[in-house]
Amino acid sequence: MAVTRRNTSQRLTLLILVLASITAITLDYRGQSSHAFDAVRNGARDVLSPVQRLLSDALRPVGDFFSGDVNYGGAVSENAHLESELGALRRQALENATAEQQLQEILSEQHLPYVQNIPEVLATVITGATSNFELTFEINRGTSSGVGTGMPVVAGAGLVGTVLSAGSSTAVVELITDPRSSFSVRLGSKGAVAVATGQGGSSPLTLSGVTANMAPRVGETVYTSGTSGASLPAGIPVGTVATVHYVGGSLTKSVLVMPFAQLQQLGYVSVLQWFPAP
Amino acid sequence: MVPGAVTAQGWARLVVLLSATAILQVAVLDGIVIGGAHPDAFLALAIASGLVGGAQRGALVAFLAGLVADLFVITPFGLTSLCFVLVAFTAGVASGLSGGRAPYSFKVVTAAIGGVAATLLYSLAASLIGQPDLARHELAAVALVVAAGCAVLVLPYGAAISWALGAEASGERRLSAATGGRATR
Repeated sequence: MAVTRRNTSQRLTLLILVLASITAITLDYRGQSSHAFDAVRNGARDVLSPVQRLLSDALRPVGDFFSGDVNYGGAVSENAHLESELGALRRQALENATAEQQLQEILSEQHLPYVQNIPEVLATVITGATSNFELTFEINRGTSSGVGTGMPVVAGAGLVGTVLSAGSSTAVVELITDPRSSFSVRLGSKGAVAVATGQGGSSPLTLSGVTANMAPRVGETVYTSGTSGASLPAGIPVGTVATVHYVGGSLTKSVLVMPFAQLQQLGYVSVLQWFPAP
Repeated sequence: MVPGAVTAQGWARLVVLLSATAILQVAVLDGIVIGGAHPDAFLALAIASGLVGGAQRGALVAFLAGLVADLFVITPFGLTSLCFVLVAFTAGVASGLSGGRAPYSFKVVTAAIGGVAATLLYSLAASLIGQPDLARHELAAVALVVAAGCAVLVLPYGAAISWALGAEASGERRLSAATGGRATR
């Protein structure tokens, strides 16, 4: 009798906990509760942030060792910093190459924002994603530093991602390679517009909307388009066209883009203080 | 005492344990990336709670661990706790079937299997609610790393759970053993 009662109690507990989980999922997906969950999440990150930074700095060599980075510590930090500076200069050069043309042909006519005029907030990458199922990282700047949701993040020679959520002292950035990431790009300085989507892991971005009559070239630079209603400003270098495939009979071409930024080795990033149009 | 109940002192210790796990995960384990994946301390805690505390208490601790883990991810709130509850409950049932006092090897193997199962379950559940899928090779890498992490962490977490839940932690398991595993079936 006791065993039966115990079995019933166990099953009831399991049922309640499963239903509670499903309810939480539903509330997070629908309705106003998702904002409440976001607030709780940002609060939790802010609370843990000081401890996290302290321990991350102290224990980073352990992580680097297990990750296969033998030359950890100062060398890694210095390298990341120099790489960031070098990348910023390369990005600047790439932007300059098309700046005049963009200013004449795009900005003056369509009043689009231009990346060189946008102020930046330098941030340090604290840690990567807690889940193995998402490509995000956390930075040590939040709303108190002027970082907001939706702002583009750059590092090295190009776009890294966008701010997904921001607490007061930290923010979560979604990488452009995350499968949830999708944004409008332009092939070359005045080429055709397409949509870039992440494929996860270290896979290149895939471009959709490249019709058969377009002629993307391997090695061609891809920039954010900044077209009306775009989630990113115009002119941020994204990457280069790695492969172009045309399947006979198909209306579109398969185009893969390799990002400029070294997304696996981010130490410092810059958040562009640009808000997407409402 | 009601079977499966957790004392006030046990709750306080669980809070300490969950906080320590959160710090361990975000400050240490998130930085140990092997093959694009990192170990999951919250899952190890959930499985250990099932193995040590039994199916019922294990599921309860796993639910809480999942909720805390969900604070640090962008996937829908409750998804992690759903997977953890199912895996911890199953681990608790398996622990009961093993005869009450499972050897270390059993716990390590169960934790590794639980790591793989939780990864696949999470992937399936995420896919069902419209989250993007991982490529197969990436999913395999995640499952492997998570399983290895759980196998390494399950014994220390078993000890921590025993401390948190106190002497009554093994009560459910002992009852299960005395009834030949029927209590947890």
